[in-house]
Amino acid sequence: MGTISLEHSNRLYWLGRYTERFFTTLKALGDLYDKMLDTQHGYTDYLGCFGLADTYADNAAFLRSFLFDDTNPNSAAYSLERAYDNGIVLREEISTTSLSFLQMAKDTLEKAQNSTNIRLSLLPLEDILYAFWGCINEHIYDDEIRNIIYIGKTVERLDLYMRMKYPYLIVEKEFIRLLKNLNRVPRSTPFRYQTKPLSELVEILGTEADYDRESKRAISSLSRLFEAGEVSV
Amino acid sequence: MTALHQEQFTKAVGNAGEINDLLRRYGVKFGIYKNGEFKEQFFPFDPIPRVIPSQNFAQIEKGLIQRVDALNAFLYDIYHDKKIVRDGIVPEDFIYISKGYLAQCEGVTPKNKIYSHISGIDLVQAKDGEWYILEDNLRIPSGASYPLIARELTRIAAPQAFEENAVVDNRGYAQLLKETMEYANCGGIRAILTPGRFNAAYFEHSYLAEHTDSVLVQNDELFVEDNILYHRTYSGGKTRIGVLYRRIADEYLDPLTFLPESLIGIPNLMEAYRSGNVGIINAPGNGVADDKGIYYFVPKMIRYYLGEEPILKNAPTYLPFYEEDMKYVMDKLEQLVIKDVAEAGGYGVVFGSELSKERLEEFRAEIIAQPRRFIAQEVIDFLDLPIIDNGDTVMRKADLRAFVLSGETTRVWASGLTRFSRNPDSFVVNSSQGGGFKDTWVLSR
Repeated sequence: MGTISLEHSNRLYWLGRYTERFFTTLKALGDLYDKMLDTQHGYTDYLGCFGLADTYADNAAFLRSFLFDDTNPNSAAYSLERAYDNGIVLREEISTTSLSFLQMAKDTLEKAQNSTNIRLSLLPLEDILYAFWGCINEHIYDDEIRNIIYIGKTVERLDLYMRMKYPYLIVEKEFIRLLKNLNRVPRSTPFRYQTKPLSELVEILGTEADYDRESKRAISSLSRLFEAGEVSV
Repeated sequence: MTALHQEQFTKAVGNAGEINDLLRRYGVKFGIYKNGEFKEQFFPFDPIPRVIPSQNFAQIEKGLIQRVDALNAFLYDIYHDKKIVRDGIVPEDFIYISKGYLAQCEGVTPKNKIYSHISGIDLVQAKDGEWYILEDNLRIPSGASYPLIARELTRIAAPQAFEENAVVDNRGYAQLLKETMEYANCGGIRAILTPGRFNAAYFEHSYLAEHTDSVLVQNDELFVEDNILYHRTYSGGKTRIGVLYRRIADEYLDPLTFLPESLIGIPNLMEAYRSGNVGIINAPGNGVADDKGIYYFVPKMIRYYLGEEPILKNAPTYLPFYEEDMKYVMDKLEQLVIKDVAEAGGYGVVFGSELSKERLEEFRAEIIAQPRRFIAQEVIDFLDLPIIDNGDTVMRKADLRAFVLSGETTRVWASGLTRFSRNPDSFVVNSSQGGGFKDTWVLSR
């Protein structure tokens, strides 16, 4: 096809972001679930990473909201819905098969709500998401399309890792991955990023000490990397 | 088809649950507005196919090709010389007051003189086996994607059904469509224009775009410059569009030509079309030929343009516009089905037998006051088809939408959308009114 509109380029980017947000949230909640087996309100540090107050009665209420409540913008369900919303208008670009994995994820998450063992019933979601990414690789012929999705995915992952205070070595790996993805987009039709926030990121994420000290500034720079004005015709 | 044969096909296809699970997985949905709210629903699929033996289909195929060729000739004539009106075959009353007639299309000749590239012709089979045409849809007939994907998934869920029965493969529809689009292409890429995700048929738009290697576009991605239609790319470039399979109604296509308040159209699209720089599928203005009032005249068109006798019959139809027909309609109103020519999607269809005495009289007065607005048809006692309902096999009313594609030649897709009513007392099969669908198997022997 070889022609991508501004609307679709944004959709591709946000498909990558929301799918990754769903995946990383799910994994983080899985780890928290384990921690909460031993600790009441064992989720408060997690809420703190996102600047959220603890308004939940107990572990179960927190989990229910962060997994299944699609009106909670920080929940897995919310991210999955947004990923699907973006994916559904990209069928001819990402393929019906890729999209089917998002539908399967929605169905699996919905079924998990009524399960007596939530963590076990959520496990297939990880497989489904890996299959989704495999499908994106397999079915998208146009590198440009694939790379825009991957840029969204790595931006989101980096953002969440930094918010959740992941160790420097892991963050650095993701940052390098982002730089590689940015370089992969053909020069003739770049998915344009702002250069200033990128140089800030390069500076901050250059050393562990800078990352530890200035991770908030790095998160802010990352959020400005693809401001609407920069992705323009 | 004997009951024994039907049972064999029923058994062969197996259970509805597995196929519906797959349809769900692949997002086979349609949108519906209820109380002003948009809802996306899975389209209920029944696994027992409608089965059409090869010989029977050959006859239907011939009849459909004949009908669509005549309708295309009619459209060319109406927007050019109007010989059929001058020769008194179709009264001009039925042309110029039709909502589908667009004066803006006068004298415009689409590439290769094809107006209806994709025609959805609705048929029913009567209990005596005879097929009747119920309706021609020449604007934006939808529904082909559903049996197309259902077949793909049924072959996965019930492979034995296809080993045991010689079913013509229907999965070439996308290729047929692609060829049809290419034949109308005036130089550029193929694009499918959708009003957006909240359109009832959005699944179909995106599925067909994917399978015809077309770009799925919305109006704000398109613009016309020097009478050429372009797709605006995100990096500031533009790509020429040679053929636009639009899935929005004529009146919304171009706000500078039709409804100025249209927010989903493309300014100056009609200029690009008139200049021969872009093909539009189907051509604007086709509504004049699929008006329910014009339906009555299609057999006459076949005789007039092709010099042939119609192969497929219309359902017996009366036009209250004619004095003799008005008298018949008044006498038999409680036995007829009355259709408002301006309505579609199963709306505006009234069965005389279902009206109270009081409503019948009110309706009689409406017909007398606006005879051109209604047609009346005999209620065809059409063949019920088996469907699975909560594990039981029950019989329901069903129709068939056949798809005829006009390109270098006119071809009938060896399949079609069989829609059925889920309500045992209803003849209305439209998905918007709760109907489901079946695959249509054409046998190769």
